[in-house]
Amino acid sequence: MRVPIEWLKEYVDITVSPEELAHRLTMAGLEVEAIEHDEGEAVLNVKVTPNRGDCLSMVGVAREVAAIYHQPLRHPMPAARTGEPGEAAQVAKVEILDEDLCPRYAARVVRNIRIAPSPDWMQRRLLAAGMRPINNVVDVTNYVMLEMGQPLHAFDLDLLPNGHIVVRRAKPGERIVTLDGVERDLQPDMLMICDTTHPVAIAGVMGGSETEVTPNTRNVLLESAHFNPTSIRRTSQRLQLSTEASYRFERVVDPGGVVAALDRACDLLAQVGAGEPLSGVVDVYPHPVSERTVTLRPERCNLLLGLNLDAQTMVDCLRRLQLVAELRDGVVHVTVPTFRPDLNIEEDLAEEVGRVYGYENIPERLPFGHTHRGSDSPNTRLVRPLQEAFVRAGLVEVHTHTLRAPGPLDDPNRTPVRVRNAASEELSTLRNSLIPSLMDVVVHNLARRQTEIFLFEVGAVFAQLPDGEYEERLKAGFAITGSAFPPGWDARYPAADFFTAKGVVQVLLETVGVAEAEYAPLADPRFHPGRSARVLAGGREVGIFGELHPDVLEQLDITRRAVLAGEFDVETLWSLATRRVRYVPLPRYPAVLRDLAVLASEGVPYQTIEQTVKGAGGALLESVRLFDVYRGERIPEGTRSLALSLTFRSPERTLTDEEVDEVVAHIVRALEEIGARLRA
Amino acid sequence: MEERIRTLVEEATQAILSANSTAELEAVETRYLGRKGQVTELLRALPTLPPEERPRFGQLLNTTKTQLQTQIDQRRAELQRREREERLRAERVDITLPPRPLRVGLKHPLTQTMERVRAALIGLGFEFVDSPELDDYRYNFAALNYPDDHPAMDEQMSFYISNTRLLRTQTTSVQGRIMEKRKPPFRIAVIGRCFRNETVDATHHHTFHQVDAFMVDRGVSMADLKGTLAAFARQMFGEDVQVRFRPDFFPFVEPGVDYAIYWQGGWLELGGAGLIHPNILRAHGIDPEQWSGFAFGLGIERIPMIQYQIDDLRLFLENDLRFLQKYGA
Repeated sequence: MRVPIEWLKEYVDITVSPEELAHRLTMAGLEVEAIEHDEGEAVLNVKVTPNRGDCLSMVGVAREVAAIYHQPLRHPMPAARTGEPGEAAQVAKVEILDEDLCPRYAARVVRNIRIAPSPDWMQRRLLAAGMRPINNVVDVTNYVMLEMGQPLHAFDLDLLPNGHIVVRRAKPGERIVTLDGVERDLQPDMLMICDTTHPVAIAGVMGGSETEVTPNTRNVLLESAHFNPTSIRRTSQRLQLSTEASYRFERVVDPGGVVAALDRACDLLAQVGAGEPLSGVVDVYPHPVSERTVTLRPERCNLLLGLNLDAQTMVDCLRRLQLVAELRDGVVHVTVPTFRPDLNIEEDLAEEVGRVYGYENIPERLPFGHTHRGSDSPNTRLVRPLQEAFVRAGLVEVHTHTLRAPGPLDDPNRTPVRVRNAASEELSTLRNSLIPSLMDVVVHNLARRQTEIFLFEVGAVFAQLPDGEYEERLKAGFAITGSAFPPGWDARYPAADFFTAKGVVQVLLETVGVAEAEYAPLADPRFHPGRSARVLAGGREVGIFGELHPDVLEQLDITRRAVLAGEFDVETLWSLATRRVRYVPLPRYPAVLRDLAVLASEGVPYQTIEQTVKGAGGALLESVRLFDVYRGERIPEGTRSLALSLTFRSPERTLTDEEVDEVVAHIVRALEEIGARLRA
Repeated sequence: MEERIRTLVEEATQAILSANSTAELEAVETRYLGRKGQVTELLRALPTLPPEERPRFGQLLNTTKTQLQTQIDQRRAELQRREREERLRAERVDITLPPRPLRVGLKHPLTQTMERVRAALIGLGFEFVDSPELDDYRYNFAALNYPDDHPAMDEQMSFYISNTRLLRTQTTSVQGRIMEKRKPPFRIAVIGRCFRNETVDATHHHTFHQVDAFMVDRGVSMADLKGTLAAFARQMFGEDVQVRFRPDFFPFVEPGVDYAIYWQGGWLELGGAGLIHPNILRAHGIDPEQWSGFAFGLGIERIPMIQYQIDDLRLFLENDLRFLQKYGA
């Protein structure tokens, strides 16, 4: 809200600079976001919190200024002057059918309207406050709204049959053309100001063009009402129509100030020569809001604030805010005026004492009493070791978007969760896999001429389950493309490939302690069918990885380079951890090494050969290491030669060549059973 | 004979001194002391001398041999040292050439910040818990004392999945989940991703990260909140940090404040805080007369933005490697 300081000074003395005033207001809870200068006049841009609708006016801000600086407040119309129906009741009639949405509706009548521009001083203030001057009648209603916070509306009285106002919900199919010229469909829960037959204004939001004040207007009916804030908010949101009036009504306008604002407007209309107010007010207010009493126990106030104030100081602080506060029997009794609907409980009063006394006076203290053991969350204990494993493997961590458009890299086995009110396709679903958003990052960096892209992320993915519920799971994903090892000025390496990715996977599995992983072919349209794998442990799939399918890469405009990606389920990974850390002495006896060149058909997976060798090698075979794969001359087509280095060792003695020869012979026989043989 | 030996020693000494490489010296050694060397030949000729002269010449030859061997060994050591020096000189590299690159993994600056925040709050006794990103309207708003359709939600525009489910707009949503299960005293914290349906610019994003911490115990006051925030801020930003409160409004706290820290010459607003609203305590069966508590929250991105003077929030989720390599660790 724009608050011209010149205007504010009408209600409270201000001797400090705009900067000083802005600082003090901010520190008291009315945040001044900026000080603007409008034709030499300082204008405060005040951000009013949603609970302080009373501050959406010059008087409201002045009240805070008065409290801060211990100054008296000069209210232009502290209470209604008009109480009786008077002459107004003879030309206007108000009927409220839906009291739940309109607890109070008051009207006054102004005769002999002479439409003209409003006086310069009023126009200047309206402009400084950010409103466009229109004519003297409309300007006065806006001026009073800005001054006192009560939105007003002027109807052309002669266009209201019998001056009869009916406040009711819209009927099905009703429509209205609003002041902005837009025809709007009305919903049955929207509150309308109607004549005897149809709506003439959307209550609290905007008037209708039919009864608009024009140069031909001779008589006006001035409306000042109190509406249900939630109802106004819903109507405004449904119609996507937010106005100065609806903004204030949503934040609660003072029900007690309804008629005072009418009186103020009538005085101003008369003062600027816009017309002659009739005496009296038509005020329908079936259940007047009474002022509440809220009590504050001084010791409770001190406990909450961490201060040690005496009760009288508390009373003084509250009185400075124009609250009626009295100390009786050691308790502060506060009569809360109707303009402060936000003050309902003891804690609310403690806050008022605190902010008037000054939060800067609250001391710093560390909590005492119970001690607590701080700890990481269970998920952090699962996630952090994986993050550290990826970092050890040389990958760079990213945090990517959860919200995204559906795409070809989504997990085909998980139904995506859709956002109901997404503003765009880009924000329309929750990721069901980390791979698509990791690939966004790959694409982003390739476009910026980065060539070595080794990324990982650990984060939540989502799916809609068959029963309609939603699943949120932690996944650990990676995407890599570039050289197998970082290229330098004197060495070049082959491109990162399936086995580079498998190296990353191995670091991950070793970190978690998944001892025996198996690799099975993967059928997933996102991946190269011959260069991708499911990773199984204990018979369960813990993740997938491999080279992305060239069709998928083409859709991302990635050509002439392989991209590897993988995704692992964090909980499943940890549930299959088998590693127990325990001490095993370093070997005391020497090892015996034997190299075998095993010739086998291409169709026999290495995994089968290794398992066969290990199975036949028994306890004396300590480890098997593959050190070469050869195809080509001197071996039959369709076969490959696998060079294995076997390490034999006994924990109890030095092995003899004869013993080892025997085991090797056993291994060779086992290999022959699966169609492999030693290369001659 | 003596004359011959003397001449031989002179020649050999001359040859040893003029050998300019270990290889040359090797040849000299062979020439004089080798199996067919000249000294060896003379020794071999001893039996041909008259018996009375043999002891004297034998002794003389042995001394000569030892003497020459010593000279050769000394010369060899000298030559070896010189040759090594030459080799090292030849092996010299241009030490100003760039290094051979290693593949170094990095944690995202947000992860690093979250780890620092966790360490600071764990040190203050807070127990971190997990809470879902896809949350219930109930926990995100209703349990936090938001009335239905209240303007306070204008700053929390949400991504709705259904009528009752949404992406959490604040990590504060964990409060209800904890309070319905636990009895005070407790100190709880949660850290994670939040979402607000708003337009993205340099200081706003629809996706961001928050930490929320709250405690409930006997007699917890605004002073405890201020002290805890000060201890937290000092661990994050340094010992000379000051904490300032200014009144603000959040439906789940009363009194509610916005807190700022004084850091490097200016006040920086970090987040919202306050005493947990008695309505929330009461709704979870916690008697506000017996217990009180505070809550505070702040944006994770705000911390590295302050520390490194990063001026664009979007950089964190854009993941440009040049950015990550600069601020990751």
